[in-house]
Amino acid sequence: MIGTFFSHSWKEQFRSAIWAKNLLANVFLGIAGIVLVGYALFLGIFLNKILEALVPDGQPLDILNGVIIYYLAFEFFIRFFLQNVPVMSIQPYLHLPIKKSKMINYMLGKSAISAFNLLGILFFSPFAFKVVAELNGSAAGWGWLMFIIGLALSLHYIVLLFKKKLNDHPNLMIAFVVIFGLLGALDVYNIISISSASSAVMDMVIAQPILGAIPLLIAILFYFLNFNYLVNNTYPEEISTKKKTGNITGGQFAFLKRFGHKGELMAAELKLIFRHKRPRTTVMLAALLLAYGLFFYPQPAYAEMDFIFVFVGVFITGIFFLNYGQFLLSWDSGFFDFVLTRKSTFRDYLEAKYLLFLSASTIAFVLSLAYGYFGWKIILINLCAYLFNIGINVFVVMRIAMFGPKKIDLNKRAAFNYEGVGAAQFLIIIPIMILPYIIYAPLAIMGHDIVGICLTGGAGLIGFLFREKSLQALTNYFIKNRHKIAAGFRAQ
Amino acid sequence: MIDVKELSKSYSGVTVVNIPDLSIPKGESFGLVGNNGAGKTTFFRMILDLVRPTTGTVTSKEIDVAKDEGWKTYTGSFLDESFLIDYLTPDEYFEFLGSLHGYSAGDLKEFLSGFESLFNEEIIGKKKYIRDLSKGNQKKVGIVGALMGTPEVILLDEPFANLDPTTQIRLKDVLWEWSAKNHLTMFISSHDLSHVTEVCERIVLLEKGEIKQDIQTGDSTLKDLEEYFAAY
Repeated sequence: MIGTFFSHSWKEQFRSAIWAKNLLANVFLGIAGIVLVGYALFLGIFLNKILEALVPDGQPLDILNGVIIYYLAFEFFIRFFLQNVPVMSIQPYLHLPIKKSKMINYMLGKSAISAFNLLGILFFSPFAFKVVAELNGSAAGWGWLMFIIGLALSLHYIVLLFKKKLNDHPNLMIAFVVIFGLLGALDVYNIISISSASSAVMDMVIAQPILGAIPLLIAILFYFLNFNYLVNNTYPEEISTKKKTGNITGGQFAFLKRFGHKGELMAAELKLIFRHKRPRTTVMLAALLLAYGLFFYPQPAYAEMDFIFVFVGVFITGIFFLNYGQFLLSWDSGFFDFVLTRKSTFRDYLEAKYLLFLSASTIAFVLSLAYGYFGWKIILINLCAYLFNIGINVFVVMRIAMFGPKKIDLNKRAAFNYEGVGAAQFLIIIPIMILPYIIYAPLAIMGHDIVGICLTGGAGLIGFLFREKSLQALTNYFIKNRHKIAAGFRAQ
Repeated sequence: MIDVKELSKSYSGVTVVNIPDLSIPKGESFGLVGNNGAGKTTFFRMILDLVRPTTGTVTSKEIDVAKDEGWKTYTGSFLDESFLIDYLTPDEYFEFLGSLHGYSAGDLKEFLSGFESLFNEEIIGKKKYIRDLSKGNQKKVGIVGALMGTPEVILLDEPFANLDPTTQIRLKDVLWEWSAKNHLTMFISSHDLSHVTEVCERIVLLEKGEIKQDIQTGDSTLKDLEEYFAAY
């Protein structure tokens, strides 16, 4: 039975529509995964050298023993946000003659094979055998490693249980953050010492390697607590990610209706954005990235590097359409046939999207005026970047987005969701990194950077004045390819 | 066979099912009709322990379905697509179900051969995942899957919806045949009054979660039901 479950998990992974249709993104992710594993192993192997370099007058083992508690606290939070048990995947089995206990054991067991647990092992094993075993004998090395891995595994099952309970008490998490923060602060100011407690425990484990088994027992205990909880709660409507059937949001876009049909389309799009997690995240990210300039402008190291400022300007004033607009049509993929048949011209459809991007960029630009604090030149650069964005880049992004768009299921999660990722997402680098520099870079190299900036802005202004032409070209392209795009959305 | 006692389900104060007492004897073909939101599917889900009742119990052979999983071995069901493992091909899905019921490869082949006319050569031996099948063909896979293992009880939610006319007729034949041959207890919900009165000996009419009528099917049943719903 376990074998069958494994084969089903495997098939689910490799037969998922996203996997097959998005080979490029998967290859990319695969490489990223391998690189991450490589880093963990590399860091693990050189951990003692790194610690020696960082704190020259301390023993690497003592330092590590002292900070392990922080590592675990950190891991707890990371796990909390990223770790999930795919409880819903057992839904098709619930009515079949299979014991629930079997399914739950499989699910819990499989969840232990996770990137987190693997990375911890890779990271700490070399240190255990190179340093701990060297200094205190191989039994101590094993005990030390078992202790840490056991704790990681305990955390794994604690977080699983904790997350389920937390659905009812969302404020608990804030309490945890505050407690950990306070303890950390107390430690830093030497009022109480958590790190010495951590060291003391680890030293005890090294002296008595058998103690390394304790966390494993904790892990087993929490495994059974999880098991008990799940056995009594395998009702699909209760375990599914809590759908809050709460208030309807977004009625407040009524003011857009005054702008006629295009306003209605914009209001509809805003509702789409604010009522779904993933598009909403892109807006939040845009707001967050307004602060991006703070990384660069105050740094003296960048002060003379206007090169970077142009990029920062493009990013700050254009992040919304760069981020949201690259999936232009994919957001509507769930009702695309309706888009094609409703009483609305395609020109209006695309223009409404353009107006939305234009408004977002304008808002971002106005807010970015605060960066004038760092000098008039920054305002000039941002103004030119803004003009370039609304006159040229936005159309480039919209055009790129029509290049084989992929379906997006709006009701899926926001983080680590690669649905809709296709060739367009690799081309998006062009409007960010290349186009703004075509005019600017040669002039800047010749020493006329202000001229370069102004000409870039001027090009944007000309593009903006001729926006009707660009919109018409986009519309024509859309009309020509609409069947192909619709078929692509339907096929997935 | 199936007994319902004081069963109710409410969502945030709104009661969607409220059935104080209902018994379905072995071998009965039981039809459930009612408008959208009458609570038909929720009732079926509670029989299958997929929804936790707010009050009351459903017992199958006198055992509470929420307490013991024994009923799964003799109960076949298909309510919606979430009952299917959609990334498998129909062949793989049937093979998996067969393995649960202890079918050998030969048993499985023989079992499936009984449904050739229903499948119309569109399902077996095709390299297509269940999720890529049409709604009608998915339904066929689910219904045939539910019949696997010669169940004593079978629950089907709207089995005739999405099926083409030929398949609807064939499905009726299959249900009659199985119910006569295996003394099968059938639960069928349907919006198609003529189909459900043809297949079921007993019709229960739900309205807002309550039983409004509980009748043995006779010559005038179809007309009575049509009048009821027309006047609703």
